Amino acid sequence: METPRHILTNFETALENLRKDVLMMASLAARSIDSARKGLFERDEDWCNTVIADDEEVDTLEIQIDKAGMDIMLRYHPFASDLRNVIAAMKTSVNLERAADQAVGIARRARKLILQPALPEIARIEPLFDTATNLFKDAIKAFSDGDIELARTLKLRDKGLDEQNRSFAETLADLMQKNPDSIRGYLELIFIARCLERIGDQAKSIAEDTIYAVEVKDIRHTSIPN
Amino acid sequence: MPPVLSKPTEQPMETTVNTTAEGRPDFISIRDFSFFYGKKQALFDISLDIPERQVTAFIGPSGCGKSTLLRNLNRMNDLIDGIRHSGDIVVNGRSIYDPHIEVISLRKRVGMVFQKSNPFPKSIYENVVYPLRVSGQNKKSVLDETVERSLQGAALWDEVKDRLHESGLSLSGGQMQRLCIARAIANRPEILLMDEPCSALDPIATVKVEELIRELKQEFTIVIVTHNMQQATRCSDRTAFFYLGKLVEFDETPKIFSNPAQKQTEDYITGRFG
Repeated sequence: METPRHILTNFETALENLRKDVLMMASLAARSIDSARKGLFERDEDWCNTVIADDEEVDTLEIQIDKAGMDIMLRYHPFASDLRNVIAAMKTSVNLERAADQAVGIARRARKLILQPALPEIARIEPLFDTATNLFKDAIKAFSDGDIELARTLKLRDKGLDEQNRSFAETLADLMQKNPDSIRGYLELIFIARCLERIGDQAKSIAEDTIYAVEVKDIRHTSIPN
Repeated sequence: MPPVLSKPTEQPMETTVNTTAEGRPDFISIRDFSFFYGKKQALFDISLDIPERQVTAFIGPSGCGKSTLLRNLNRMNDLIDGIRHSGDIVVNGRSIYDPHIEVISLRKRVGMVFQKSNPFPKSIYENVVYPLRVSGQNKKSVLDETVERSLQGAALWDEVKDRLHESGLSLSGGQMQRLCIARAIANRPEILLMDEPCSALDPIATVKVEELIRELKQEFTIVIVTHNMQQATRCSDRTAFFYLGKLVEFDETPKIFSNPAQKQTEDYITGRFG
């Protein structure tokens, strides 16, 4: 059944604008993750610099969303799904900002790696990029569409990313012993893998907040259902 | 903070009483209650259990029947020509329509505070003791004790104790409403009904009355009709939402305002009605 519009059109507009700002922030954060990946694999410093420069815009949006959310609560005293949506928007913006920060972390490490000879082991981190990027994009889709079924998959998939990260770190630790001259580069890659693992955490948190906003079920800190 | 009032000494006849999930007894049990103004049906098969010593809020758009139901709890609607009802309202195990119950004695057990404060053109003292004088009580020591107890209970004593014999009409709007609450609790009722008690008050006076409601629930079972949903969230333990004379949903207040079970409730509280 379609949800009727608010009697108060300003309230409706304020909620729509808040949602648009979150989606704008999400697309910027996703773009930063993609740009950081390009910077790393194409060994292109410009992509890395773009990520670092774009972070300011993400930070500004986070502040704007907080202010707009506070303003809605102050002016319109939202209840029920409206209240949950405002809170979810504000919490999601925090996770988006953190995900964008992880992209900045990747870009900074990529800039350092570019200055060193190319590491053939860099290909081993591509599956982590794939998983983290897919998790993040699906979290945004779940938030945007209120897709609970999609949101529910993220917790388990994030566990998969954690495992990928752990396995990658072990592999790199072995390689460090075999190729001590490349330790610095391997450490940068381990750090990048950790950033990707954190992006997965943020995607999972966005999914949890989406489930709460739509279904009023708090699944944080719960075990994954079979 | 006003002191907690002592328990009513007169206990009405006890019978079987249901309990809520939290173990509180259902003090007021409304059973399949329908109400008609002539041919127009205002309430449809309402069933509702109101727990003892909690604040229950009735919310809903104008004309939904919330005030009609409230006024049935002390049979105030009996004064209107052409009304009739079906179903029952049981207070503390006994039907208020029991032919052996006198309406006057019922209204002593069920105090009422109205939207607009309505002090009598008498002194503050005489306003408070009015219900006792009507019952034939004129003993000064009893009246003095009642005035102090009731005004303290209504959080007004400190503001008026030195001018008890000034007119009740000389008080501010908020003070007048609290004077009416003092008058309503003077006879130690078991239930306090409040029909939009703060709608004519400024924000400060509203806060005082709301704080008072939270305090009074330690002693009385309170039912409040309000159009102000923030007030319902602040004051009440449970909330009933009515629409077109029907009870749509009744649950704990945080549940109603964060995750109502019914779409009609959600649409109303989020301002999507109409």
